[in-house]
Amino acid sequence: MNAPSFLPPLASTVSPQPIPTNLFGNSSAVAVIALLHIQIATFITGSSFLLVVSESISMARNDERHERLAHTLVKGMAYVFGFGSALAILWVTWILLGMWGTFFVALGRITFWAFIFEAGLFVTEIVLLYALYANWERLRAYRRVRLGLAVLLAVALWWQQFMIDVVASYMLTPNGGDTNQLAQILNPTNLPLTVHRTVGNIAWAGAILAGMAGIRYLRARRRGAGAASETAFWDWAGVWGAVWAIGATLMQPWIGYSYAKDIQLHAYPSWYRMMFGDLSNVFLMQITLLGLIFILGTVYFWRRMRASETRGRRTQVLMLVVLVLATLLAATPARFASTYAEAAAADQLKPWWDGGLLNPIGTMIPNKIIALLAMMICGLVSVTSLLRAHSRGELHWGDATRGAQWLLVALTLTVSSMMIVMGVIREHSRQPFLVNGEMTIQGQKVVDPPPTNGVSPGSAP
Amino acid sequence: MLRFLSRPVTTRTRSAYRWFDERTGSTELLHKGLYEAVPEKGGWAYTLGSATLVLILLQLFTGIFLLLVYTPSFSDAFPGLDYLRRSDRFGSWVRGMHLWGAYVLIFVIGLHMLRTFLSASYKRPRELNWVTGALLFFLVLGLAITGAMLPMDQAGYWTLVVVTNIPHYIPFIGDGVRHLWRGGDFVGQASLTRTFAIHIWVLPFLLFAFIGAHLYLLRRHGEFGSWVNYEVTGADPDKELAERIVRAEPPYPTRRIERMWAVPRRTVDFFPDQLFKDTVISVLLIAVIFVFGYLVGAPLSEKADPATLSYVPTPEWFYLPLDQVLVLSPQTYLVFVGAFALVGAGALAFILLPFLDRSRDRAPLRRPEVLLPGLFLAAMLVLLTVLGASRLYSL
Repeated sequence: MNAPSFLPPLASTVSPQPIPTNLFGNSSAVAVIALLHIQIATFITGSSFLLVVSESISMARNDERHERLAHTLVKGMAYVFGFGSALAILWVTWILLGMWGTFFVALGRITFWAFIFEAGLFVTEIVLLYALYANWERLRAYRRVRLGLAVLLAVALWWQQFMIDVVASYMLTPNGGDTNQLAQILNPTNLPLTVHRTVGNIAWAGAILAGMAGIRYLRARRRGAGAASETAFWDWAGVWGAVWAIGATLMQPWIGYSYAKDIQLHAYPSWYRMMFGDLSNVFLMQITLLGLIFILGTVYFWRRMRASETRGRRTQVLMLVVLVLATLLAATPARFASTYAEAAAADQLKPWWDGGLLNPIGTMIPNKIIALLAMMICGLVSVTSLLRAHSRGELHWGDATRGAQWLLVALTLTVSSMMIVMGVIREHSRQPFLVNGEMTIQGQKVVDPPPTNGVSPGSAP
Repeated sequence: MLRFLSRPVTTRTRSAYRWFDERTGSTELLHKGLYEAVPEKGGWAYTLGSATLVLILLQLFTGIFLLLVYTPSFSDAFPGLDYLRRSDRFGSWVRGMHLWGAYVLIFVIGLHMLRTFLSASYKRPRELNWVTGALLFFLVLGLAITGAMLPMDQAGYWTLVVVTNIPHYIPFIGDGVRHLWRGGDFVGQASLTRTFAIHIWVLPFLLFAFIGAHLYLLRRHGEFGSWVNYEVTGADPDKELAERIVRAEPPYPTRRIERMWAVPRRTVDFFPDQLFKDTVISVLLIAVIFVFGYLVGAPLSEKADPATLSYVPTPEWFYLPLDQVLVLSPQTYLVFVGAFALVGAGALAFILLPFLDRSRDRAPLRRPEVLLPGLFLAAMLVLLTVLGASRLYSL
């Protein structure tokens, strides 16, 4: 299925070349608006999942805390949805069409159906979200309807994310310029990116919830003894958000590694640039931030358990030590150790038990995998330890210290920073291409061979 | 004899049955089989165990049919199955049922284990039920992978090559294990003969031995069901538990926490209540297998070509997580870590779960130390399957 024939007028309405301004300015505009939009959109997508979970628990167990949390999430999503949408429209109309006209028109024609679904889902989300927001109390008598709306909203948001993943992954691995719809959807990095983002969005929503709960807890504490129920609620919400943030991030090292593996297999220059080229230091920053997320989460859990004097908090200290070491190992620059090439040159490309260099201090990739595995296992033990204390009834809500709440805020900022760094890496890894191997940034021109199947981005007047 | 034959038919039948029953105890056996108390709530979830047994029997029957045409030979295995595909619609259907039966069996047994895990049915005194069940699960996976090697088409041949090479990564003994399985350093006729023997004799022998043990243990301890059947609802918990414990069967629990889980609040009879549900689910699953076996069938690619350089082997869907772990493990000692240390430790923990989980409670949310790692592993299995599928099937 190719782009429909009724589209050409669109191409003639926009600038075929970049507006005469500097490339740095254009790129910066994209970066600022896009990253801001992505942070909001991913929060809304992840929050819809947490909304469904909380509303389900609240119905099943008649839990007022979860009902209040679900309502808070709906309000939060509704408040930022408008701003996020305005940013998206600004991004499309001013930045993409105005500054990157040729590229966006070409991309719009290739991924036409993905954009159409995207727009349709956008309208669906407006209806569902504002129906929930405006009728939350009225629907109290119809809990199943309310849950149904929340589920539909989550499904719509996930599909919208999937559609934009089709576009984003196609820009990185465009299957040699094959514009067939199925080829776009089944491009090699679409599913890994979708899985990565689905899990990441939940972690991000959990982190935002944790940070917000931390701030609200501090405000409630400032009001004094009269706000005991408020402190108890926000203390609980902070733990709940942090558990989702760390719990979902537990899977990300392996998923991210799988994603990187697919980039290595299908867009090797981009992968090389990320791992060994000029982006490798930025990638080290990313891996450091990942370790920091686990470290902050563990310190928070430890302090939270200490405040309630629960059993098992020493486990957190042990995990913290291992996590710090794992982060240092994961963030070791490649030049600190021998590479495969160096090991081969020294005729030492053998396993360590055969006297070779392929051992934990010999090559980098095994080191990093060990570090990532350690992060996953330690993070899992850390979250489990906290939940075990909770299941024993040893956590008393409202006991948390002020310092622990600042840790939650730091966790939110760290996750946010990591998302920005990831965005920078992904966008820069394709350079000098906008669509990898097909269209360059400088001229927005199509390089040989151009996309086939009747769609020629370079043919725009 | 003449007097016996001259009686009415119903009298003759009754009399023949009495003769048979007196010698075999069949009525008593039937009563023992049918009149068993089953916890009242969650009956549909308990059907997964009986469905597993029915599906294993279906695999046995379809496998016997396939043995009538299959020859475990490098030169003759493929033509026999190719004949089914081209000229024998019924035989092709049976082969399709054997494949889809295996797929559905793995899915159902996985669900059965998940249900048992969530309800903590493996706790005292049912630890060995779980251990035998977990071993059965691995035996079924072993049957599935050895079965995939037999057709001697490209997929089967290269599965044989790849899978028999995996032991090579075990330090010190790896090459010896590979040599033993392959019957040499390379895949050849001996490899196929040995894999065939493992598939139709070794693994089924172990499978039916463990099924016998599993069923015996199930009848000895009864169906645990789910924690919701054991909650104390009355104002006087001690009295309620005391009234329930009267119905308990040995081994009698001694500690209070165990008394609570000894006898369910209310039960129903296995016959007809539970048997009806078991039958419905089993018939539905068999219908699915019949339909998919007929409509989709079992694939058969080209005849095996050991000299090819272009064929990319793809694992069956239930081995995609392991395949993904192997792909992501750099070609160093980490292959051993990924394929054996991690997977082996996970499998061992899975089998020994009842001895690792010392929590007293049975509701899943009250034992996060088991639930969370379990859900994490389950989520990773699903995600690795999706990622593996993406890598294998993307355009």
